Amino acid sequence: MPLYKLSYFEERGLGEVSRQLFHLSGTPFWDNRIPFDHWPRIKEYTPFGQVPILCVDGEELPQSFAIARYLANQFGFAGKSAFESAWVDALADQHKDYLNEIKPFLMVANGFAEGDKEKMMNEMAKPSIRKYFTILEKQAKDNGSNGYFVGNSITWIDLVVSDHMGVIETLVPNAFDGFPLVEAVRQKITSEPKLKEWIEKRPET
Amino acid sequence: MTIPIVMNSGEEGSAETPTVQNSKLESRRRRGIKGEKESPFVPVNASTTAMPSYKLNYFDARGLAEVSRSMFILSDTPFEDNRIPKDQWPALKEKTPFGTLPVLEIDGKPLPQSLAIARYLAKQFGFYGNTPFESAWVDALADQMKDFLAEMRPYFAVAMGMVEGDKEKMKNEVALPAIKKHFSLLEKVAKENGANGHFVGSSLTYVDLLVSDFIYSVDSMIPGFINEYPAVAAVRTKVVNTPKLKEWIEKRPKTAT
Repeated sequence: MPLYKLSYFEERGLGEVSRQLFHLSGTPFWDNRIPFDHWPRIKEYTPFGQVPILCVDGEELPQSFAIARYLANQFGFAGKSAFESAWVDALADQHKDYLNEIKPFLMVANGFAEGDKEKMMNEMAKPSIRKYFTILEKQAKDNGSNGYFVGNSITWIDLVVSDHMGVIETLVPNAFDGFPLVEAVRQKITSEPKLKEWIEKRPET
Repeated sequence: MTIPIVMNSGEEGSAETPTVQNSKLESRRRRGIKGEKESPFVPVNASTTAMPSYKLNYFDARGLAEVSRSMFILSDTPFEDNRIPKDQWPALKEKTPFGTLPVLEIDGKPLPQSLAIARYLAKQFGFYGNTPFESAWVDALADQMKDFLAEMRPYFAVAMGMVEGDKEKMKNEVALPAIKKHFSLLEKVAKENGANGHFVGSSLTYVDLLVSDFIYSVDSMIPGFINEYPAVAAVRTKVVNTPKLKEWIEKRPKTAT
């Protein structure tokens, strides 16, 4: 088995999906958490000046979704056919587009930028959440309301969405009203024994 | 005119310019990883299975669809190149999975999102690298290009007259920094891959196609920008001189983006 090291900040963010893939598959890895104040000094030594980075037997790989997809393929969480795998990718890219839309709100809500949080929540965040979660709800339904977004087993998009919901619900009240099937995916994911265990013991961020 | 290439923008990555250091991005990744599982998806063997029918739906533009069109052309795979006139789009929008284009139909089953489509076709036709780790690097570069597109968006909007603004100012404050940031990385990757005309491995991958087409678009607005990045320019040269693609480029509909 290769030696894995995942480097990211001391938060869930873009690294959490990959951490969860290691835990779900029972694969040992070095969960390298970089304190924010160390980052400026380390940055220039990374391939793209960004984290997360996955190191596999000393070989580095950047970009959070490239990492997640690679690990998902290695451990069996990328769908059971090429078409399923492509749909997982499509949802993940839609997730990224959505994150791009609400980024200004998240920056203000988390104190990284100045702005009217309430106004941005109502004018930017809520409509974007509604638009994206409508897509997710439909996808969960079209997939047979079985607790997964694609196919009949966990894929990495289930993990991405579930974790993100944990972020949004602290910032936007009742964000997921009207999306019961998406909630059902989150429930199923977070009650998966290995994940449940990890979620309980991981650092609070 | 809508700018299709500025739809479906992704976001990831630092807003500052990273310092490009010698971070040991050598050709080690070409040697592969011991114990790495083979990719589970073997390309469809056309001689033993019926070829699916492919229909690629997009605007009449290169944009986010050209990389996929190129792969059909290069693999000699028939496909319906459905170019949707702008005035028909509003009525069609809600019939698409995500309200966006491109959408690829495979035997009638829709698949949205340009890079998911490109990756699916790359796997089918062999433009996805030779090991899972190489494939992951192709994906990482493609995502980096998506970030580049997202950063260039405000410049494109002004440069193409869709939004009011000072084109020269936008070029200096938006476009040139974005180009420097992302193309410095691409140059480094191309060099460390052996300056062999590919970004990853030793054969054509979908990110070679993606970058080449973006260069074409940006060059029309900022001519000669690629000259500062010779290893990247070499990838583009190799791509556009691939015989089947060369022919396609000559005869395809001419669009600004």
